[in-house]
Amino acid sequence: MPSRTVTVGSRTGLHARPAALFVAAAGSAPVPVKINVEGRKPVPANSMLSVLSLGAKCGTAVTISAEGDGADAVLDDLATLLARDLDADEGGSDG
Amino acid sequence: MAEGLGALLEPAAIRLAETAADRDAAIRRCGEVLVEVGAVAPAYVAAMLDREQSVSTYVGEGVAIPHGTLAGKETVLRDALAVLRFPDGVDWGGQPVTVCVAIAARGDGHVEVLGELAQILLDPDRAAALRAATDQDTVYDLLTPIEETA
Repeated sequence: MPSRTVTVGSRTGLHARPAALFVAAAGSAPVPVKINVEGRKPVPANSMLSVLSLGAKCGTAVTISAEGDGADAVLDDLATLLARDLDADEGGSDG
Repeated sequence: MAEGLGALLEPAAIRLAETAADRDAAIRRCGEVLVEVGAVAPAYVAAMLDREQSVSTYVGEGVAIPHGTLAGKETVLRDALAVLRFPDGVDWGGQPVTVCVAIAARGDGHVEVLGELAQILLDPDRAAALRAATDQDTVYDLLTPIEETA
């Protein structure tokens, strides 16, 4: 199954706003996407609770995987999103 | 592992019979409780409302996790949680919310705490029990499970 492993770029980790943006992107993908941290079972990437349960901080390596038509493109897009600091473009921070 | 949530949640920060006319009112109540227990300065409440404008903190299972923006971090005095239950429910952008777990956090230690909370809520029975809880001990026990087989 195609997969990508990236480190979380958002400075507050994969929760709150970064998680919401990621979950929304994964949910709108044409194929189901799963996400996991090393040593743990993959969970649905379109579920906020599942993504929060990873407890992924800034710098944590996460692996996303998907199968089907367009999976590679979906994974590339989501990997780019995960690697960005999604807190940066929020009002009041330095971005 | 289980000490994370419990260490941040004091009995005075568990309020089980709250009412709020709408989402913003519920968030203000959450912020007021965090102020009352000495976890944040009053300015944090505005940061919580800002956060919600930016992205909903609804996580599923009738639970929202209001917290401030990064800009509001300097108004956090210590990391803490508050649990507010709204028995009549609050319309959270189209989703009914019964329980708010309000978060005050300076660093990223709460990401693990949120992970714990999410794992609890992923268990439908425990999530339902949390929504139905009417006493502090029940809430505390649900959020600080004794290490089980897991």
